[in-house]
Amino acid sequence: MTTPKEIFVKIDRCMGCHSCELACAVEHSESKSLYSAISEHPVPKKRIYVEWTAPDSRMPILCRHCEDAPCLHACISGAITRTEDGVVLTDADKCIGCWTCVMVCPYGVIGRHIEEHKAYRCDRCPDKDIPACVTACPTHALVYDTVENYSGNIRKKVSKELAAGLGG
Amino acid sequence: MTAKQTRYVIIGASAAGMAAANAIRELDSSGIITVLSMEKEMPYFRPMIPFLISGKKSESDIALVGNGPYKGKDINICTGARVTFVDTKNKIVSASNSKNISYDKLLIASGSSSFIPPEIEGTNSQGVFALRTLSDAKKIADLTAKTRQVVMAGGGMLNLKTAFALLERGLEVILVVYSGQVLSQLMEADDAKLIRKALNIAGLKIITGCGVKKIISGNNGVKGVMLSNGKQIEAEMVLIGKGVSPNIDFLDKSSIRIDRGVVADEYTATNIPDVYAAGDVAESFDLLSGKKIISGLWTNAAEMGRCAGRNMAGRHTRYLGSAGILNATQVADVPFVSMGIVHTKGTDYETHVTETQTTYKKLVFSSDSKYLVGALFVGDIKRAGLYRFIIREKKNIDNIKSQLINHKLHYGHFLQ
Repeated sequence: MTTPKEIFVKIDRCMGCHSCELACAVEHSESKSLYSAISEHPVPKKRIYVEWTAPDSRMPILCRHCEDAPCLHACISGAITRTEDGVVLTDADKCIGCWTCVMVCPYGVIGRHIEEHKAYRCDRCPDKDIPACVTACPTHALVYDTVENYSGNIRKKVSKELAAGLGG
Repeated sequence: MTAKQTRYVIIGASAAGMAAANAIRELDSSGIITVLSMEKEMPYFRPMIPFLISGKKSESDIALVGNGPYKGKDINICTGARVTFVDTKNKIVSASNSKNISYDKLLIASGSSSFIPPEIEGTNSQGVFALRTLSDAKKIADLTAKTRQVVMAGGGMLNLKTAFALLERGLEVILVVYSGQVLSQLMEADDAKLIRKALNIAGLKIITGCGVKKIISGNNGVKGVMLSNGKQIEAEMVLIGKGVSPNIDFLDKSSIRIDRGVVADEYTATNIPDVYAAGDVAESFDLLSGKKIISGLWTNAAEMGRCAGRNMAGRHTRYLGSAGILNATQVADVPFVSMGIVHTKGTDYETHVTETQTTYKKLVFSSDSKYLVGALFVGDIKRAGLYRFIIREKKNIDNIKSQLINHKLHYGHFLQ
């Protein structure tokens, strides 16, 4: 089994273009095409949220698929499960729309699909090798990688900077 | 040489018991886990039983084992096993349909039963129910075909959910609420306006300010009820939803300390070594006030059970405490979330209410304004979990208070 990957967010790279939100909604539409998706009913829902904080920073926020996921254990219908890849999923068939998951998610990233009366959240795009939001991000603020690789890369980058600083 | 297998015995197979069993299995792959359930069915998601009445779900749809986080292997579940005695000296549990079972670690998660107020006369009549188990739900569902009108005593969550299930079956439902409003334990009268409106539109009849005094029955069971104001109402079925009381009778002769429930410390342990308690039967403490409480909530029970399981498997884990109020649901088309301290009349809590035609939000801060202690959302429950996180972790809110009050808060504010 390969090591599961996660979606990492480099907050300092996000410029707030919302491309990730659009790509996410399109990927979760019936047609999977932007032009048809905008006229679909119900309107396709995004599962990533680009937020703004003063004075002027943007950050994409999405389900972290927590190791100790509060939603998973709080769900009263058994609709939330974890896949072998560590992805926490809501089974729409089992979801009864009681919103207990919305109540316990500390990130505030579980949405309410009002028309279908179901909870929804990031499913890491099961049909794609790389999640749609990551592909869409023009500044590489979103990175899809294993924890080992991602933290390794950061360590290397910092070491390089330190070394350059010492040499200069 | 192989290590000795630990024998874990769990009394109760609902949220707390099954969460504990699964938590144990995560930490101990070889221990023997035996779960004793007094019910004859395999474990199920108890909050789902109103759906058996509406017919929206079947028994297999609400099965617990193998669903959600309940996927632990080799958990032996004995159904129909009512525990009669716990011998903590010799570490033995006696159950009605099995031999004595020895344990190394024991969890008491025997849950609670419906509380039937003794002042209501005639509760033994045929057609009177207090919905608690899958078997109750099936009996109620069977009787709906012969029922035209139902009287429900109590205006809590369980009764409301059940009322909707009965309305969906085409029955007339009259809710009799002793307090002035529905859901009085989860909100104040002013907070409940939108919900009350939704209930009226849904066709639920509500009588407030009086209780069911007497259940009148004839040869074919229930015929009606008499209210405390003397009025009589026809009904072929009466449902009592007046809360629950812990199942502790079987511990009478044991030396396990009992107050209102089985007393559990902050590591979910009882006064007797190797005996733990979790869920509705346990008397634990409120995570905000530290006061003793018995919680009847699935969410608390699952969390406390998981904590107990870890402690039983040797991972010393502190329980954060139970939330007195921690409820989410949808009433007709109105979602709501209520958590922490939301009853503020006559107190000096700082409260902020934001209202629109279709939404109502109330935030409650400590009287020194330093902490968020409660939140109620009706109509719009977006990011409710963020507020729960702030309440539960007793977060410093100095820098985010205006965002909180204006409902502009998002997780990004914690990353600055």
